[in-house]
Amino acid sequence: MTAFTGNLGWRKAGLLCLPMLIITAVLLLYGKPLADPGKLLPAAITYLFVNATFFCMIYTGQTNKYRSRFFILVSLLFVVSFIANLIEVRGTMELSTANMLDGETPLCPLVIPMLIIPAALTNTIIFPGSFFAAHAGIAPMIVLWLGFSVAVGRGWCSWICFFGGMDEGFSRLCRKPKITDIDKKWTALPWAVLLGIVLTSAVTLSPTYCAWLCPFKTVTEFPAIESVKTALQAVIFTSLFIGLVVVLPILTGRRTQCGLFCPFGAFQSIFNKINIFAVRIDRAACVDCKLCLKQCPTFSIDEQSLQAGKTLLSCGKCGKCIDRCPRQAISFHIKGTPLHVNRLTARILFLYPAFTFAAVIGGGCIYGGLERIFRLLLTGSMIH
Amino acid sequence: MMLQGFLLGLSTGATCLAYCTPVLVPYLLGEGKSIRQTAGTLSQFMLGRLLGYLLFAVFAWMASYYVSTLTDQREMLTGVIYILLASLQLWYGMLQPIAPCAGSSWRDRVAQLAQSRPVLLPLLMGLFTGLNLCPPFLLAFAAAGENPTLGYSLLFFLSFFGGTALFFLPLPLLGACKNISRLKNIGRLAAAVMSVYYFYTGMLLLLGGIFKL
Repeated sequence: MTAFTGNLGWRKAGLLCLPMLIITAVLLLYGKPLADPGKLLPAAITYLFVNATFFCMIYTGQTNKYRSRFFILVSLLFVVSFIANLIEVRGTMELSTANMLDGETPLCPLVIPMLIIPAALTNTIIFPGSFFAAHAGIAPMIVLWLGFSVAVGRGWCSWICFFGGMDEGFSRLCRKPKITDIDKKWTALPWAVLLGIVLTSAVTLSPTYCAWLCPFKTVTEFPAIESVKTALQAVIFTSLFIGLVVVLPILTGRRTQCGLFCPFGAFQSIFNKINIFAVRIDRAACVDCKLCLKQCPTFSIDEQSLQAGKTLLSCGKCGKCIDRCPRQAISFHIKGTPLHVNRLTARILFLYPAFTFAAVIGGGCIYGGLERIFRLLLTGSMIH
Repeated sequence: MMLQGFLLGLSTGATCLAYCTPVLVPYLLGEGKSIRQTAGTLSQFMLGRLLGYLLFAVFAWMASYYVSTLTDQREMLTGVIYILLASLQLWYGMLQPIAPCAGSSWRDRVAQLAQSRPVLLPLLMGLFTGLNLCPPFLLAFAAAGENPTLGYSLLFFLSFFGGTALFFLPLPLLGACKNISRLKNIGRLAAAVMSVYYFYTGMLLLLGGIFKL
């Protein structure tokens, strides 16, 4: 395995990481010292882990290797902290009608595409959450999502999405894929699902993806099973989770939920158009080994795009193809600049916004999860 | 009278559009035609929709306002229409052979029929969405049922159709995307996705109606 190192030494890599040390300290502590000494250890571990990850990326020149470990850990600890938080607040993972009426549902970014048409037609946000709540309120989540989407486009799916790490984790369990031949037409399915949920949400004035199709309801919150309808919903959520997030990633070695189903991923792809960062393939250096095509987790390189020296619109900028390319022909790129110059600068300029957002969201998840685990070890319960 | 129907159509047209787009948009995208051709397909769809409206105009005249109060039967009828719509969409999205051959299977025969009568599919989709008892349509049904003459009922639904049809005018612009080859595949897959929604809703309405009888 090779990577574009850019010949950085310890000193230079350390210097490049200094701003991140300061940024993450401010963001993880919200600009003030920790009042509770019991939270000091998880905060310190999170801080060290986040910055060690960034340093390893800068020093070794390998992006995906460290991003992936960080990403998977974020997902696992997100589930721990989210479920513990739900049980603490509501006493259960179940979301009752009363909770929805009280506007207690935290906004998941996946809802955003479904909000647009109903908001335009009826001036209503069709989500049972609070607009200004500090914990995943509608307004803060939309601002955060918009900022990140403009900064790194579909990089959201590889750097910030707290669900994507589950898919990625299971796909990494596969050393030799059992299913390699996937019909290209299925890569259009996320767009079809996106179209379907946007239109049905406009008709029903409810977020249909969350109500019917979200596999991650299985490991977060789900509607309380009070009727045949909610029982059917639970069956669908669980089946989709087992099929798309566990079984298929293990069999294919790819992120099948993200690449072949997730409508939010398709929606994020649109932002790749306006985002200044891209992944480019240097055709002069490429030997057509097609390793990138076979390894891309989100099916974002095909024969045509490879010949054109580009990735598809759905590229999640995870960096796997860049790390794996035996000829170092693939690199992060700033649109409008020549392909052969400033590869190191382009990479650093991409990594800074991508990792800053990852550290804000992921760091919070890691810290939250660790805090719950330490609480469990010390007191026998995760709940306050 | 005509003005009343037209104004009702205008005031509820956005909702009508919202109810029809889950059927129409995937289909128009899946066809991948130019703006002009898409306008043609849309007019075939609208013709089917008008046919549905006029059928209901006759029905409204025959049954008067009384029928709109029969909730269970109304739900069952909508359920059956949804299931028919879902079957059409599923066939269009997943089961339609890309290159129909002169085989004898039902898929081949249906594909040959659809190829020899290209107007049939948009017409049927339009008819089923026209027969769909969405909230604006029920308003029109109730308003038309207030007058006992067939002429009034027909004219009312015709003018109601005219008011709602204005909201469909921008849809042929989807044809501007015809060069994006992936959209064709996306449209067909979306039709299949939507068929699941209509099938589920149809079954719920149908079974709900049966159990209430």
